[in-house]
Order: sequence, then C-alpha cells, then structure tokens
Amino acid sequence: MAVSPTPPAAAAPASAPTPGAAVEAVQLRKDFGPIHAVDGIDMSLPPGSIYGLLGPNGSGKTTLIRLLTGLASATSGTARVLGVAMPSRTNLARIGYMTQSDGIYPELSVWENLTFFAALYGQTDKVDLLRTLELVELDKRTGTPALQLSGGMRRRLSMACALAHHPQVIFLDEPTVGVDPALRVQFWDHFHRLAAGGATLVVSSHVMDEADRCDQLLFIRDGRVLAQGTPAELRQRAGTDNLETAFLSFATQIAGSPAAFAGAAPKETAR
Amino acid sequence: MNPLRVAAVVRRIVAQFRRDPRSLALLYIAPIAIIALLGWVLSSSQTTTAHVAVVNESATPAGSVIATRLQSVLDGQPDIVLDRSVSDDSTARQMLKDKKLDLVVVLPSDFTAQNRKIELLTLGLNATGEASVIPTVQKALLSAVADTAGAVLPTLERSTVYGSPNATTLDSLAPVVVGFFLYFFVFILTGISFLRERIGGTLERLLATPVSRAEIVLGYSLGFGFFATIQVALVLAFVIGRLDVPALGPIPAFGIGLGVHTIGNPLIAYLLVLMLGLGAVSLGIFISTFARTEFQILQFIPIVIVPQGLLGGFFWPIEQLPSLLQPVARILPVTYAIDGLRQVMIAGADLTSPNVLLDLGVLVGIAAVFVALAAATIRREVA
Repeated sequence: MAVSPTPPAAAAPASAPTPGAAVEAVQLRKDFGPIHAVDGIDMSLPPGSIYGLLGPNGSGKTTLIRLLTGLASATSGTARVLGVAMPSRTNLARIGYMTQSDGIYPELSVWENLTFFAALYGQTDKVDLLRTLELVELDKRTGTPALQLSGGMRRRLSMACALAHHPQVIFLDEPTVGVDPALRVQFWDHFHRLAAGGATLVVSSHVMDEADRCDQLLFIRDGRVLAQGTPAELRQRAGTDNLETAFLSFATQIAGSPAAFAGAAPKETAR
Repeated sequence: MNPLRVAAVVRRIVAQFRRDPRSLALLYIAPIAIIALLGWVLSSSQTTTAHVAVVNESATPAGSVIATRLQSVLDGQPDIVLDRSVSDDSTARQMLKDKKLDLVVVLPSDFTAQNRKIELLTLGLNATGEASVIPTVQKALLSAVADTAGAVLPTLERSTVYGSPNATTLDSLAPVVVGFFLYFFVFILTGISFLRERIGGTLERLLATPVSRAEIVLGYSLGFGFFATIQVALVLAFVIGRLDVPALGPIPAFGIGLGVHTIGNPLIAYLLVLMLGLGAVSLGIFISTFARTEFQILQFIPIVIVPQGLLGGFFWPIEQLPSLLQPVARILPVTYAIDGLRQVMIAGADLTSPNVLLDLGVLVGIAAVFVALAAATIRREVA
C-alpha cells in the first residue's frame, strides 16, 4: 500500500484536540466571498484566564467569536470549545455569549428577559438569577421594560443574560461599550473572580485602555493573529510602554515581512 | 425536543403581546370590524328598487298586447317602479344615462308574433348591479308571454341539499372569512415578529443557547396558536351568535353579531382553522428570511395573501377559474380551509366525511412543509 504524501499546506481536519485547552482554533478560516474575515487562525487558550481580542473595527473579532460559538460555519479549519468541535448545540449550555448588539427583547421587562434566556439554558433558580441582576446593578429595575433602560443598562442586562447560567467559557463582544467607568471597574473585578473560579473569558475590544486588565492579549488584524502574550510581554517585544504603539508596531512588522506578501491580493476588511 | 425550552419561548411570545396592546387589537378587533361591515353591506344591499320602462317600437298587434301585459305584470312587482311615460327608444336611453331608469324592456320594430325577440337595455357601467333586476323582469316577461299563448306555466321552486335555498351571500361567505382573516393576521404578525428577532440581534442570541430550531418554531406556533385560538373563538362567536340589544332611551335597538345559520361542529371548524394558522406561523418565519425591514414584510401581502383571497374559493368556485389557475388554487392552503369550513359549517359534515378528512390532511401536509422550511431557514447566515 502506497503512502500518499500529505500536502503540507492542507489543513488537517481531524486534528486531535489539545489537552487542557478551553478554546482552540486550528487553521480556522471564514470567507465572505472574496473577503477573508478570518484568515487561518491557530490558537489554544488554557482555562482560567481572561483573553483580550484586540483589533480595529472590521479586523475579524466578531467573526472569530461567531465561529468559536458555532453561530457561523467555518470555510475550513476547526473550532473547539472545552474539547468539543463547534458547532455543537449541547456544548452551548456550557458557553455564555454576550453579543455586540444587546440581543434583548425591548418589550419585555428586565426580569422577563433574564428568566427567558436563563430558562433556555435550564437555569430557573430565582435567587441565583436575582444575584446576577445585583451584580449588574439592575436588581431594583426588574419590572422595567428593556425599552426604557439607558444604553448602559441594556448592556448590563445583556451581560446578565450571558452569565446567568454560570458558563465555563464566556465570549463577550465589546461588553463595556456605554457602561460608565465605575461599573466598568466592577465588571472587570467580576471577570477576574470568574477566571479565578476556573472560567475562561474571551473579551473583544477595540479600546486599548481595557487591554491591561486581560491576562493575555491577542492582537487581531485582517483576520489574523498578529501577536499573542501578556500585556507586559507585548510591550517589551515592541519596545514601547504603550499598547497602542505596540499594536501598530506589530501591524507594520507583519505587513513589511515577505510572508505577508505571499497572500498577494490587497485585502478588504470585514466585520 | 425539550418541553421547558419550548414553554419558555411560548411564555415570551405571550408576554411580548401582552405589552403590545395595539397588535392585540389588530388581531381581535380588526377582523370583527371587517366582518361586521361586510355583513352590513351584504344584508342591506338586497332591498333596492329598480326603475323600469317598457318601450314598444313594433307596430304589430302582438307587440302592443305583450307590452301592455308586461306593464301590468311589472306594475305589481314589489321592487320595481314602472315608468309609463317613456314611449321611444331614444328617450329611454337618455333616461338611462340620467339615472332615471335602471332597465328598459324594448320590443324592437321587427317584433312579431313569430319573431319574439325582446331586448333588455341597461347602462352597462356596473354589470353586476344592473343584472340583479333581470331575474324579476324575466319572470314578468315569461308570464306576460304565457298569458298571450293561453298556456299555464309551471311554477319553479328552488331547494338545496344543504342549508337553505334562501341563504344569503353572507351565509356562505361567513365560514370563509373566519379562515381568511386568521391566515392574514397570523402571517403578518409572525412575519414581523420574527423579522424583529433577526434584525434586533435576539435571534443571534437565541441561536447561541441550546434551544433548537424545531423548538423555536414549535414555541412560535404554540405562542401564536394561543392568540389565534382566542381570535377564532371571537370571530366564530360573532359570525354565528347574535345578541339583540333593546332600545334604551335615545339609543335605538341594535344587534351584535351576524347570527349566520350554521349546523356544523365548531370544534372541527376550529381544528381546520388551527392547521391553517400553524402553516401561517411557519410561512411568516420562512418569509422573514427574505425581508430586511418591516416594510418588506408588507410587500409579501400582494404575493402571498391576495392570490389566496382571489383564488382560494372566497369569491368564485375553483371549478370556475381559468384552467391554468386551477392547479395554482389547489396548492393554496386557504383553498382547503375554505372548502373544509363550508363542508362543516353549511353541510354539517364531521370527521367521517372524506371531503373534510382530505381538506384536513392537505392542511396538515402544507403546515408540515412550511414548518420544515421555517426550521431550515432560521439559521441562514447574514453575509
């Protein structure tokens, strides 16, 4: 029996899951027509940490999260959460997802929204749900229709809906937009408590001032990971104490390298 | 299939509508208002008086005998006012144009005892309205001609297998409007509700939970089924029932409800309408895939709803449609609901009737197809 040589460039679809990785991507790719929204991302994120996905608008952060949650199907490659290949509907019970749009029902009250989403995860413990509302400081507003909440409050309700079932892996797509600074600090404190309890958080943002609160950062641009490391490591590697400058430095390094030109065609950005 | 998740979706839809009284009003008050209007129009349009003249242009004795007899017969008709002042064709035509006459019976100049050609002249602006006088005139003509021949005319009496021969248009339309309104409103409401899920980001959020597409479609069907049940009950009660309110002071006596005579089992009628509604829920979800805004959902009314109203047997029997349109009518769910509802409510058929079973079976089949289509398109990716 002849052994056929495997082309080195071909993605191996049946690669084994990395032991211990909470979130994993293997040569993950998503094309929208000619646009490579996610362009062959490899990553392996161990549990119990907060990972920041940092990149400009249209760099592919949201598409990456949608692939990891199974909401979008990959053009090629594999996405795994807690060792299970996505999309997997049963695995979604262990995942929390706070979308970029609030994703709540404006006619329904705060409590109705929360209990509805929680019930879909099988979470019906009212005392515990009330605790989640206390965390986002909406426990005094249970009867208010979401329509009458301010933008920041809607963001908080959206977060409560994503956390109510105590997921092990939490994807938060720009969670702190419109949330006031004091509450933002509380949110990050809670994120760290969740991570300390073993949860894995993947937080996307396009503002760099939040990046320092993450344990690990992934700089994303044009659907690719430019660099990964702790905030301190990334600063050191770029030789700057400003993360924004560090990002730009990595972006130009990649763009200037011959490898980047191998892809040839100029790329448009996708969301 | 997890019943708790389905129940959560149902509860959410009910809660959403409770907080949206205007949509509820659309669901409950609008059909009753339209049916009441329809009932009012159809019941009062039956008492019209027609202004009729007889013009004798022939010079034969037979002509004048028939003209005289015709005039005396017409004069005795309750809904006809005979105008004896008109004597020539051109005056009669002018009076038709001036709306002083509705119909003119003309005995032309070549009328003889052998050539008994008689013309019925109307204005020709509203064919249906003008034609309503013709049967009375024809009857009068028959007896006028028969009298001259000295023959005795047979008397004709009409009877029907089902219902009453004196059934009004309203009686046969009533079962139909119940089904049609349900289809229309359920389609619009689910279409728009589901579109809001798509554009409001809640569908994305739903699909990130363990809820399955089948559970979403079932939850929607049951949630809207809850409101549709109330709507059908209200509309049926309004169509079948009648409550006469006596005069009170300055308010004259009036009746609520149409009091249409039906003999069928309302539960079987409800079953038919429920299956129709189930299909409409899934059709609404499916159609929302092809719309980006609420306005685009409304654009589907002429495509999805109006053909069903025109072809479904609402106004014309399927058999009278052009042969090319008949197959189209036979794939429309409303066609089967209307046939089934007529069988049940007018003919009193029950579930032992093969006709009703066929209608019900087809409705279940169509609903199943739409449920599958809806479930398949829920996860359509937005590129």
